[in-house]
Amino acid sequence: MSIIKASNLTKSFGHDHTAIKAVDNVSISIQAAEIILIMGPSGSGKTTLLSLLGGLLTPSQGNIEIDGVNITALKETALPAIRALKIGFIFQSFNLLDALSVEDNILFPARLRPGGINKARSRASKLIEQLGLQKRSKALPQSLSGGEKQRVAIARALINEPKVILADEPTGNLDSQTGQDVMMLLHDIAHEQGCSVVVVTHDPRIEDIADRILWLEDGKLSDRKHDQHKWCRDPVCGMRIDEWTAEYTLQYSGIKYSFCSQKCLDKFNDHPGQYLSNP
Amino acid sequence: MLKWTWKSVFSQRGTLIGSVLGIACTFILVIFFDAVWRGESEQVVSYPAHMKPDVWVMQSGVGNMHMAMSFVWDWKADKIAKLPGVKQVTPILYLNSIVTSEQNQIFAFIVGLLPDNKRAGPWKLSAGRHIENPLETVIPDVLAKISNLNIADKIHIADKLFTIVGMSSGTYSSANPVLFVPFSDLEDLLASTGTYSYLLVDADEGTRPEVLVQRIRDEVDKVNVLTHEEFINNDYSMAIQMGVEIIVIMTIICSVLAALIVGFTSYSLVIRRRRELAIIKALGVRSINILTSVILQAIIVTSIGFGIAVFFALFILPYTTLLQPQLTLSLSLSSLTHIGMIAFIVAVLGALLPAWHVSRMEAASAYHV
Repeated sequence: MSIIKASNLTKSFGHDHTAIKAVDNVSISIQAAEIILIMGPSGSGKTTLLSLLGGLLTPSQGNIEIDGVNITALKETALPAIRALKIGFIFQSFNLLDALSVEDNILFPARLRPGGINKARSRASKLIEQLGLQKRSKALPQSLSGGEKQRVAIARALINEPKVILADEPTGNLDSQTGQDVMMLLHDIAHEQGCSVVVVTHDPRIEDIADRILWLEDGKLSDRKHDQHKWCRDPVCGMRIDEWTAEYTLQYSGIKYSFCSQKCLDKFNDHPGQYLSNP
Repeated sequence: MLKWTWKSVFSQRGTLIGSVLGIACTFILVIFFDAVWRGESEQVVSYPAHMKPDVWVMQSGVGNMHMAMSFVWDWKADKIAKLPGVKQVTPILYLNSIVTSEQNQIFAFIVGLLPDNKRAGPWKLSAGRHIENPLETVIPDVLAKISNLNIADKIHIADKLFTIVGMSSGTYSSANPVLFVPFSDLEDLLASTGTYSYLLVDADEGTRPEVLVQRIRDEVDKVNVLTHEEFINNDYSMAIQMGVEIIVIMTIICSVLAALIVGFTSYSLVIRRRRELAIIKALGVRSINILTSVILQAIIVTSIGFGIAVFFALFILPYTTLLQPQLTLSLSLSSLTHIGMIAFIVAVLGALLPAWHVSRMEAASAYHV
């Protein structure tokens, strides 16, 4: 059964001769418990497509059905409820609410569900335990590590038992090991809870857990084989990177280097000599 | 949502303290100017207000005391005294003049009192005694303090030298301090005989002032006769126009400034929270709830700032008169309530514009913040 069904989806920005099609006539169908990766070069329209699927943007043309509800036919005022109840969002920069504790951050979407808070408390406790956040449940986001923040964001996305998780670069700000952990969490969520997971990423490690990889370029979608890569190594952490899709790149002494994350790029910028002498 | 609204206000303590102190300082300034304006407004008519006769009689065409000149023949006073319903007529002579001491020059109201006229004299002495002899004067105690004058010091009123024999309380305002001198000395200064300036008429018990006013108008020509309320209203309007206008202008400027500061603080609070507002919108919070939350936050911050200002106004502001005795402050619950209501309206208005922006913001911008 399709949880997400998008047909002839187009999103244009600007008008007349300045109009740019960020998403161009995309049709996609995503089944329950399926993990879909959307990859593509920077500026190819991946985040725009994700925003459309999540009801965060209104398409210029086309239809989107989520769990049988045509959200493009809904009024603007009805969309927040769809987002709160049917979709879980995971952002690259975590986007936790600074003033709230880990537990309150996780419970935040549950408060948007009528009468759902008591039921949600026990679910929040379960998620906190599952994600290994027991000792941090009262902590504020500023005291958490990147991996912990992303786990809180995942728990928050799951609290209302959504049909779909939409994740934008969920491993983008994490080191290799933490990124691996987050990937496995997403894998488990899809297969144990029957939740569809759509991930926009440049991170080739996630390909291992994907059921399907879609390639988006110039707003158009196409299937992509797993073996179509141009592999290289992150000079800082040594991680394998697909040079075609790498988001963090740098030209240094006439050579192009690709990085797994902004953190590695920053480290390289600080002491390039250190990493080039020990490739 | 309420929990987040409340907690996020207090999460950025530096921002909160800055905003609250900015708002508090502004409201302290507004409350201060309002208190000065009210105090000065009350004080500017303190002499006629304390005299409180039932009826005031003055020269035809004159309707108040502030900066006015009036002459009424003495026989008219005798005629009024004999009218039915009149209990007592107290005449005074009155002059606006410059008072010169060694330290400074000051504009003042000079009231000439007939011997043994306690009815129209100073109602409370803080030092010395009433005038008894020629060329004696009773001056306001605040004037004595700011001009460094003491009992037995000399001051010039026009070209006459007077000796200070007493100091009165409640007779000072920055627009018109009231000095008392013997009637005959003021008569000399004015070079007039057989005339008074104002007649303070007290009615017999059971005689209504309005009836007495009409009776005097019918019987005495070329005088203006007013009830005490009418006279005070005229005097107050004139004094406000001439003396207190500058304070009114300063109060208005300060209030506009306060509105701008409160509005700007509300605005910047919302702008700083733009990131989180975009996130909660993406998570499914309705625009109307975001709008409410933003306005609530502005009200919370303004309330704390206003609370600090009220505390300061009630417990610290009154002590400013120790440093500046010429200030007359009048704080009232109604004026604080009035300023408070304006504060909340301004806070809400200040929050509306950025809140409107945020409520219209695409939820997708959460991906870019």
